[in-house]
Amino acid sequence: MLADVSRAQPKLLLFAAAAVVLILLALLPSYISLYQTQLLTYGLIAAIAALGFNLLLGYTGLLSFGHSAFFGIGAYSVAFLLRDAGIRSMELYILIGLPVAALTSALFGYICVRHTRIFFGILTLALSQVLWTLTYKFFWVTGGSDGLRVGRPTLLAGMLTFTGRDAFQRFINGYYYYVLAVFAICVVIMWVIVHSPFGKALQAIRDNETRAAFLGLRIRRFRWVAFLISGTFTGLAGILWVPLNGLTTPEVLYWPFSGEIVFMTLLGGFRNFTGPIVGGILFTYLKTYAVAATEYWQLLLGVVLVLLVMLLPTGIVGAISATAAKLRWKEKPA
Amino acid sequence: MDKPTAVDRRKFLGALGVTVGGTGLAGAGLVAGPQLVKAAGEPPKGKIPDTPYRTGHMTFFTSPAAVLGEPSYKGHIMAAEEINAQGGFLGKRKIETITADEAAGTDANVKELRRMKLEGKIDLFTGIISSGNTPALGPVAEELSLLTIFVDGCTDFLFDKAVPQPKYTFRITNIQSADGITSAIGTAQTWPQVRRIAHIHPDYSYGRNAAEHFTLALERLLPGTEVVSESWPKLGTTDFTSHITKAMSANPDLLYTAVWGGDYVAFYKQALRYGLFDKMKVATTLALGVAPHAIGKDHPEGVLAGVHSNYYFTYPGGDRWPLNKEFVQRYHKRWNEYPNFQSEGSYVTLYMLKKAIERANQLVGGWPDDEVIISQLEGMGYDAPSGYVYIRPDNHQGYKDAVIGFSKNLPDYPFSTWDPNRVITIPIRNITAPPSWPKPGQGHNESTAAADWIKKTWPKATG
Amino acid sequence: MSILIIQILNSLFYASVLFLIAAGLSLIFGVMRIVNMAHGTFYAVGAFVTAWLVGRAIALGVPAAWTFLLIPVGAGAVALLGVAIEPLLRPFYRRAEEYQLLVTFGLLLILEDVIRLLWGGLPLSADPVMDVLPSIRFGGLIYPGYNLVVIAIGVAAAIGLWAVIYRTKFGVMLRATSQDRRMASALGLNVGLVYVSAFAIGCFMAGLGGAIIVPTQTAVLGMGIDALILAFVVVVIGGLGSLQGALVGALIVSFVRTAGIQFFPEIELAVLYLIAAVVLLVKPTGLFGTA
Repeated sequence: MLADVSRAQPKLLLFAAAAVVLILLALLPSYISLYQTQLLTYGLIAAIAALGFNLLLGYTGLLSFGHSAFFGIGAYSVAFLLRDAGIRSMELYILIGLPVAALTSALFGYICVRHTRIFFGILTLALSQVLWTLTYKFFWVTGGSDGLRVGRPTLLAGMLTFTGRDAFQRFINGYYYYVLAVFAICVVIMWVIVHSPFGKALQAIRDNETRAAFLGLRIRRFRWVAFLISGTFTGLAGILWVPLNGLTTPEVLYWPFSGEIVFMTLLGGFRNFTGPIVGGILFTYLKTYAVAATEYWQLLLGVVLVLLVMLLPTGIVGAISATAAKLRWKEKPA
Repeated sequence: MDKPTAVDRRKFLGALGVTVGGTGLAGAGLVAGPQLVKAAGEPPKGKIPDTPYRTGHMTFFTSPAAVLGEPSYKGHIMAAEEINAQGGFLGKRKIETITADEAAGTDANVKELRRMKLEGKIDLFTGIISSGNTPALGPVAEELSLLTIFVDGCTDFLFDKAVPQPKYTFRITNIQSADGITSAIGTAQTWPQVRRIAHIHPDYSYGRNAAEHFTLALERLLPGTEVVSESWPKLGTTDFTSHITKAMSANPDLLYTAVWGGDYVAFYKQALRYGLFDKMKVATTLALGVAPHAIGKDHPEGVLAGVHSNYYFTYPGGDRWPLNKEFVQRYHKRWNEYPNFQSEGSYVTLYMLKKAIERANQLVGGWPDDEVIISQLEGMGYDAPSGYVYIRPDNHQGYKDAVIGFSKNLPDYPFSTWDPNRVITIPIRNITAPPSWPKPGQGHNESTAAADWIKKTWPKATG
Repeated sequence: MSILIIQILNSLFYASVLFLIAAGLSLIFGVMRIVNMAHGTFYAVGAFVTAWLVGRAIALGVPAAWTFLLIPVGAGAVALLGVAIEPLLRPFYRRAEEYQLLVTFGLLLILEDVIRLLWGGLPLSADPVMDVLPSIRFGGLIYPGYNLVVIAIGVAAAIGLWAVIYRTKFGVMLRATSQDRRMASALGLNVGLVYVSAFAIGCFMAGLGGAIIVPTQTAVLGMGIDALILAFVVVVIGGLGSLQGALVGALIVSFVRTAGIQFFPEIELAVLYLIAAVVLLVKPTGLFGTA
């Protein structure tokens, strides 16, 4: 019975499920501690970064090892806007920061998409490292290894400010909802992109480049646009991240951070839409608790990564949907 | 602005209060602080809960910085054990410690501090070595209303810019700008003939700060000095051969370096092979500031061996300052190694806190609120193993007289140590900006208040 | 003038070590098509094992001159480690490159902490080996004799590797497998054995790099991570999978770095990545690489 329903109206079921999840997420802060709310906010931000990243990996088949560059550009834009222009409005951060991230992605993408596979990855790595060294070196502009501080922004065009008593608690709670809203919008936008003709074209290029070219698709152009969108999403994550973190340092541009973005996408699964979301949130928790639990947190993360690749290469969501598919297959009438 | 007046160099150094003494002698910095409230003798007032007092200690347990990080942890644990042996704070609250690895990165450290407070429910946060982390964590501690006493992370930036009006945040070891100035004074005192200076520093804020303040101070202490070579190896570099060659190629009289930890060990070993130490004098900010046994006896003698201006375990030595003698003995018994300035710093942290809690308890009874404890920490003077430590109430920064020494091999120790006859001490108030001095952004754009203060008030020496 | 000679020698010294690491990385990629992200950590293991062995030997009273022999032992230990690890990587040869990168990245994380577990947080040194050789004087400056030995070892390794690959039967097998694995297998080559050998040789090279450098520096935690990124830059410039590429790339990287330090101290960091980026743009497969 359930199988009939799900076959007939898959989209409706999906939207219902998404709505339920969103409502749950909205209700959560009332039941969990302040710390957990803050951690979940970090998780949602990571999910946005991973979602953007996966447009390139899962749907276009390009593994970038340099996405930290866009995250960092987003974060530093906010810091510069605050320091040099005195801007405190979150909306302005997004409005001005997004085009900056987009511009950078466009530039990097133009250079990178002419190559594929391992060379694409290495080139993205090299470019992000160049950005990192520049940020590190030009310390009189960027604060160097000390980084730049970012105080609490105002939300909703200045209507919500966070000063005075209990400001910290109110900020964490308020900011959670703000990020949740932006996250929901990002998910919807990405969903639309992925299911549009453009999205289908990307997947065609990923699956068989030669055939796609034969069909008349301009491979490089499509890849470039995908790169642009991907970098912009990750840049948005950086913009959202820095007011929560209070500080941005060159660390966020360094290549192991790109590795983390890859890790989280793989954790959730890069063959599904929801994989990166789950992965982003899970990885945030994983890393936080690993660092707290043991001095040998690198060992722990390394083992998790290796086990993941060996046993769950399609990630957690991938594994779940595979099991679900098997069950559904068993359910089908003989 | 007044032109700096010219002054005879010896008079200048005299005015700065520089003394050169032996380790067995009390130097200028060992004025015993007034013993104020005899809180130690009095029984605690009021009802004290016996729940444990939870502390979080974050330091480097991995990476080349671990030679500075682990001693910090060891000092903290030893103090906690000693205090717990007497029942804990006020005899009732035992100290518990949870730890975290600072090497996880600034971002992860910020998250971990929040977790320690919000989930781990710590009462005190302490530790931190890297100057990159204190400006990030200070504001978070203030936000969380968490009593925090940083052991190191000495950057001026913390109280100059990041937390200019600290409430909950304190820092126990000397401020970073003191390092460069101390080395400059040590240089001017000992080698007044040097003119050509080469620099090799790690490429990050500490290296840049050390270089800047050294140069600012030295050009006023010694006329006619010039920088003939600069190198900025990345922090964590292990191959200095090209930097060494470059420095040597400029024929300097003095090499000044803020390279520290595992990097410094690699540096001096390589420099030895190139005969660098035969060709020039060498001044350092942190050479012997690591866990003492990390610097072997192959280390050349006569190097101006900095200890971050804070403390070296042989000074004050002998029986003149029993506090230090006993501390070193206990530490060595407990850990089978000798303490460094971070061990001393974290050790003193817990004891100063203890004193503040006891005083606060005498004032208000019961377990005192953080506000009262803070009020007692501000302006507190304490007799520590290193000498007299004072926490300035305006910026919550700990001050103790700066010390620097010269490396020498003694038969008593299997590693390079200080020449017991040539320890230089400088009253800290003469090399740091006074409390009222405007911070960067308040009328000037120097990198630190100290830099501005030097430029505006220090005269230039002649001869 | 003597400064110039010394800086040239410094560059050759650094290039020797870089070459060893990069050649190992390139060999493994060339034969097995795996980019081993843990390669830098193998180099670190070589350094730690050698430093530890030298420390034990000196403590046991072995005269310093004999400790020289511990260098190949350290390298050999890493080769053994490679042989032990290779079977774990086997399931990934046929999988997408992404998975290999991630598995070896996980291996990097694991090995870094294993090093810490075994040897703790303090740096280990092996100076006695370096002290065996005197410093050479010329033109008023001195240069450590040991560094010349390192350069000699680098040259010997380059020649040796070239000889093995191009002048022995085993080398033919290596090249055949790297060009066309299936055909090689069809022709009766034991591909599995070739893989293990290639991996072992690659690890030996990395371990040798660590072993010969540790007397001049110390073995510190995290040395592998820095080494890896440099090795990457070398193979990007020289071309993944090419031996000459590793040699030329190492020389270029090393000389540019030294020139940067000597003449433009501020750009030391950036210049390497810029060169890599430029090479990638102009000839993405590197100077000597094949697609």
